[in-house]
Amino acid sequence: MELAAYESRSPVHDLQLITRVVAGDPAAERELYVTYVDRIYRLAFRLAGDEELARDFTQATFIRAFEKIGSFRGESSLSTWLHSIGVSVALNGLRKTKRLRSRELPIEEGLTVGSTRMEAEPDLKVRMARAIESLSEKYRMVFLMHDVEGYTHEEISGTLRIPIGTSKSHLFQARSKLRVALADFAPEWVS
Amino acid sequence: MSDEKFEEFLKSAAQSYNAPPARVPRDEMWDAIKAARSAGPRVVYGGVSHLRSENRFGGKVWWAAAAALLLVASGVGIGRWTASSDAPAVTAARPMSPETAIARIDPIRDDTVRAPGTDAAPGAPSGGQGARIEQGARVATTDDRRSSPSRVVTAAPTPDRATIADRAPASGRTPPPGARTSAYQLAEVNHLSQAEALLTSFRTRSSADQQQDARLAAWARELLSNTRLLLDSPVAEDPRRRPLLQDLELLLVQIVQLSPGSTPPDREIVEKTLRQDQLMTKLRTAIPAGQRGS
Repeated sequence: MELAAYESRSPVHDLQLITRVVAGDPAAERELYVTYVDRIYRLAFRLAGDEELARDFTQATFIRAFEKIGSFRGESSLSTWLHSIGVSVALNGLRKTKRLRSRELPIEEGLTVGSTRMEAEPDLKVRMARAIESLSEKYRMVFLMHDVEGYTHEEISGTLRIPIGTSKSHLFQARSKLRVALADFAPEWVS
Repeated sequence: MSDEKFEEFLKSAAQSYNAPPARVPRDEMWDAIKAARSAGPRVVYGGVSHLRSENRFGGKVWWAAAAALLLVASGVGIGRWTASSDAPAVTAARPMSPETAIARIDPIRDDTVRAPGTDAAPGAPSGGQGARIEQGARVATTDDRRSSPSRVVTAAPTPDRATIADRAPASGRTPPPGARTSAYQLAEVNHLSQAEALLTSFRTRSSADQQQDARLAAWARELLSNTRLLLDSPVAEDPRRRPLLQDLELLLVQIVQLSPGSTPPDREIVEKTLRQDQLMTKLRTAIPAGQRGS
């Protein structure tokens, strides 16, 4: 339902909605929220992997969007603009969380970080998660948005403010790295 | 061929990575958004607020504000400590009349307080400028408590910590009220950012780690004293800020009390308060973009 609502959006509709939100119409605020919240939340969850953080990031995204919507100039679509805020909020939040966690990590535990320990964890799900997390932030973002959440390169380009060619290149690099990391599972995709 | 198969495999297998729940907590998040915005939107639609002007400050000013907060906190702490003790330093100093005390803390009446080479009182340690100011402030406080001359009160109507903070710059001039407010606001934002970091850490900690609880409690204790200072500062005059600081103070007290030997129900109470008050969301709303995690 929510995806249908999202997909049926038109630029004109968005413009009208923004005008109503700027005018202080609470129903318009709710409509904007309902239209985009699922996509923003899903992306936040994919990035955070934690329900509380995903909620926080989604809430912060909409709070910031409502605060700044008066300055929205329509240079990109409303969806792209909202996603830019969402990604920025989530990445900043995650960097902070990561910093805090790494500060608290005991030394012995820290030494094992980064090693893949393939033979110890044959499970595909676990290996996949490790492989994705070992990607650099820019590759991981593009991979998750494109291959997992189904965003187009145009959408990714607008959201991450990178050229479309760069988005494609990042995806290629991400897949190549994942292919190496998941080489043990080659029979599963070769067959 | 193989590439296509690999892509299909990858897309399918990666769906399990951080898979979001089927149900999106729309209403809960909407309630939190409404609560946070009613607690104090910093920027109005299409408008320009003081928050945006804060964003124009560079990193240097930000660090300077943090240093200013530290200076204020340590100054007030030393002042309170010496005032609450038997104050041997004061008794060692020559007794002053209230007029002298006023002159020492009032830059309009007497600039010698900040003039290089002058001292606060004979026998006082020859510290830097800040030490002289502290000395003057402390003596004034003691005199105030002894005789309570009305002139002292009228000469320095602002709280002590504000007075000290305002006189700390070495420029030799009292900063304009706008600059003072900005410094407080920057200090406040820095403090809220720290609080957000603590609460994030609290929420992501391991539940069975007593050591971590102890570290968080120590951190919370530190923030608690700064929260109290901010509640006594002009920042708390903002009716939207005061409730936030009060909520934060309450939560910090709860975290401080957790350690040592806290039980899971104890921790659950703190987490419940955190959730109910929507404190994280309110904090994030209060912290301008680009100043997080600093």
